[in-house]
Amino acid sequence: MNPIRKKRLQTVLLILAGSALGSFFIIRALDTNLDFFYTPSEMLSEEIPQNKRIKVGGMVLENSVVREKTKIFFTVTDYQGSVNVEFDGIVPDLFKEGSGVVVLGYLNDKTIFAEEVLAKHDENYMPPSIDIQK
Amino acid sequence: MFIEVAQFLTILATGLFFLCFVFSVIFNVNDLNIINLISRIYSHSFLLFLFSFLIYVWLAITDNFSVLYIAQHSNTNLPVFYKISSIWSAHEGSMYLWIIFLSLWGAIYNISSKNDEPLKARTIGIISITTVGFLLFLLLTSNPFETILPLPPENGADINPVLQDPLLAIHPPTLYLGYVGFVIAFGQALAFLIEGDSNINWEKQVRFWSIISWSFLTLGITLGSWWAYYELGWGGYWFWDPVENVALIPWLAATALIHSLSASSKSSILRIWTILLSILVFSLSLFGAFIVRSGIIDSVHSFANDPERGLYLLAFIGLLVMMSLILFSYRFALLVSNKRIISLSKESFISINNILFGTLIFSTMLGVMYPLIYEYIYDQKISVGAPFYNAIFVPITLLACLFLFSSIESKWQSKSVIAFFNNPTLASFIFSLLITFISFKLYSVSKLWTLASLFIGSLIIFRYILVIYSYIFHKKFVNVYSVLAHIGLGLLIISIALNNDFSSERALNIKINETEIYKDHEITFDNLQLIDGPNYESVRADFIIESQNGNKFSLNPEKRKYFARGQITTETAIHASILKDIYITIGDQLDDGSWIVNVQFNYFIRWIWFSAALMIISGLFLARTIKRARQ
Repeated sequence: MNPIRKKRLQTVLLILAGSALGSFFIIRALDTNLDFFYTPSEMLSEEIPQNKRIKVGGMVLENSVVREKTKIFFTVTDYQGSVNVEFDGIVPDLFKEGSGVVVLGYLNDKTIFAEEVLAKHDENYMPPSIDIQK
Repeated sequence: MFIEVAQFLTILATGLFFLCFVFSVIFNVNDLNIINLISRIYSHSFLLFLFSFLIYVWLAITDNFSVLYIAQHSNTNLPVFYKISSIWSAHEGSMYLWIIFLSLWGAIYNISSKNDEPLKARTIGIISITTVGFLLFLLLTSNPFETILPLPPENGADINPVLQDPLLAIHPPTLYLGYVGFVIAFGQALAFLIEGDSNINWEKQVRFWSIISWSFLTLGITLGSWWAYYELGWGGYWFWDPVENVALIPWLAATALIHSLSASSKSSILRIWTILLSILVFSLSLFGAFIVRSGIIDSVHSFANDPERGLYLLAFIGLLVMMSLILFSYRFALLVSNKRIISLSKESFISINNILFGTLIFSTMLGVMYPLIYEYIYDQKISVGAPFYNAIFVPITLLACLFLFSSIESKWQSKSVIAFFNNPTLASFIFSLLITFISFKLYSVSKLWTLASLFIGSLIIFRYILVIYSYIFHKKFVNVYSVLAHIGLGLLIISIALNNDFSSERALNIKINETEIYKDHEITFDNLQLIDGPNYESVRADFIIESQNGNKFSLNPEKRKYFARGQITTETAIHASILKDIYITIGDQLDDGSWIVNVQFNYFIRWIWFSAALMIISGLFLARTIKRARQ
C-alpha cells in the first residue's frame, strides 16, 4: 500500500471509530434517560420499575380529587384500570375531573409521586393511545 | 369578494415565481438582459403576493368572518393588534406568513444585490422554486382562503387566550424571519454548485445574510423562551419540548455556518463545511416545519394532526435535500481545497467545533425522533426529557467553549503556539479559578457541573475582556461585535448554570390576611378582587412581600376566564431584580377558603435574557460592519 493511501485509510478508520464511539455514548445516554409511557391498565398488567421516572396518561377519575394543604390526590384512569397519584403544587388550569391528564413521576407502593402534572393546552386533547370505553 | 382577489393574486404569484425558476434554468444566466428579466419578474410576483397578504390582514382587521380561517381564529372583541396576530395563531395563516417571509428575503436579496453579481439569477431561481413548493403546499393542503358562504357566522371563535400576549404576537414572525432567511445561503450554495466555478467567492455575501438570519433566529427563540417563562406559569425558560428542539437544531447549524463562513470568506479553505452547512441549515429549518405541522410528534405546541400535510411536506423537503446532496457529491471535486487545514490554526478549531455542533444536532434530532422509532419497533410509548439533553449538551458545550478559548490566541492558516504561560491565557486561568473558588467557598456552589460552567464561562469572558483591553490600549485589530457576542456566550453559560443551581420553589397553602415565610421573605396574602378585562374576567390576588432587609413590594397574580371559549388561564406576577426574580402564581381555592399559591425564586434569569440580547445585538451590528466593508 502506498503511503498516501495508507494515510487516507487511517483517516477514514479514525473517523469511523470516532463516530462509533460518539454514537455509543449518545445512545447510552438516551437509553438511560427514557421516560416510559403507560396507560393505567398497562400498569396493572406490566412490571413497572420502581426507581425509574415514568409517564402515565389517562383521564382524571370523577370524584377522585382530594386536596389537603398544598397536596392534591387523584386517580388516573382509562376506565379499565386506574392508578393513584399524589402531587404537591399547582395543577394546570385545564386540569379537571373527567378530562385528560399526563403525569410524570415515580411509582412507589402503587402510588405515583408526580413531579409534573400536564394537561394539554387544548380542550379536545386526549392522551395518546387511549380509547375510552365507558 | 376580496378574499377571492387575494387567492387569485397568490395563484398568479405562484405562476410567476415558477416562471423565474424556469427562466433561470433554460436561459443563459450570465446574460445581463436575462438577469434583469428574472429579477424584475421576481419583484413583481413578490409585490402581487405581498398585496394578497395585505388584503388578508385588512379582512382580519375588519372582522370578515366569511373567511373560514378568520372566523375560526379571530373575534370582534379582540383588540386590532390581536386581530392581526390571529392570522399566525394557527396552521394555515402562519404558513401564509412563513411563505411571505420566504419570498421577502428573496426580494430583499434581489434589490440589494447588483445584477452583475455572479450567481444572482440562479440564486433567485432556487429561492423561487422553494417558494413555489410551499405556495402549492399552502394552496393545496392548507388553504387560508376558504370561505363560509352564504351565511358567515356573527362572531369568530377567538384566538387562544394564552396566545393573547404581545410577545407571542411577535415571537412567530421573528422566528420565521430567522428560519427562512437561510434560504439565501441555501440558494447561493446551490447556485455555486450548479455554476461550478470555484473562483467565485460567494461566501462574503452569504456571511452577511446568514448573520442577520442568525440574529433573528436567536431573537425568535429568546422571545419564545421569555414568553413561556412568564405566561405558562412553570417558571422555566426551556423545556426540551420537541417543538423547541426543532428551533434549536437549525440554530446550532446556523451557528456552525456563520463561523465556517468567517473562515471561508477569507480563503476557500472550509468550503466543504460552508456548502454542507448552508444546505443543512435550511433543510433543518424545513425539518422543523415538518415536525410542527405534520403533528407526528406529540408536543404542547404542535398544530393539529393532518397526515396529508405531513406527507406533502416530507416529500417536498426530501426532494429538495436529495437534489442538493446529489449536486454536492457531483461537484465535490470543486470544493476540495488544495490548502490543508493546518493544525492549531483558527480553521482547525472551527472544524473541531463544527464536529461538536454536529454531535449536538444529531443528538437533538435523535431525541426528537427516538420516541417515534421506539414505538414503531417495540410498540411502547416513551418520551425523551431534559435528563438526556442535559447529559449531552452540558459536556459538549463546555468542551466547545474550551476550543473557543484556545482559538482566541490562534491565527488564520498558520500554526499557533499554544502558550499556556503567556500573560492573557495565564491571567484568565487564574482569574477564573479564583471566581470558581470564591463561589465554592462563599456561596456554597458545590455541584461539579455548575463549578465547571462557572470556570469555563469566566475563562471566556475574561479572555475576551483582555482582547478588548489590547484593542483599546494597543490598537490591536479586533472584531468588536464578535468579541461581544462571545462574552454573551460566556455569560449565558454562567447564568444557566447558576439559575439551575440556585432556583427553588414552594407551594403554599394560604388564606387572606395570613403570612407565610419562605427563604427570608414574608409573604402576606392581602386581598382578593374581581376585575373585568376587555374580553375576560379575572380574580386578582394582592400579595405583599417583605424581604429581610426591609424591601417591600406587592405582587398581583391573576386567574382569568376568557368569555369566548370559557378558557381559564393563569397570569403570573414577577418581581424582577438583578439577581433573582420572585415569581408567584395562584392555583385553586380549597374548600376551607384557602388558596394554593406557588412561589418561585428564579435566580439569574434576567442574565439569561441579557446574554441572549447581547448576542443578538452584536450579530446585527456585525452584519452592518460586513455590509460596510463590502461597499
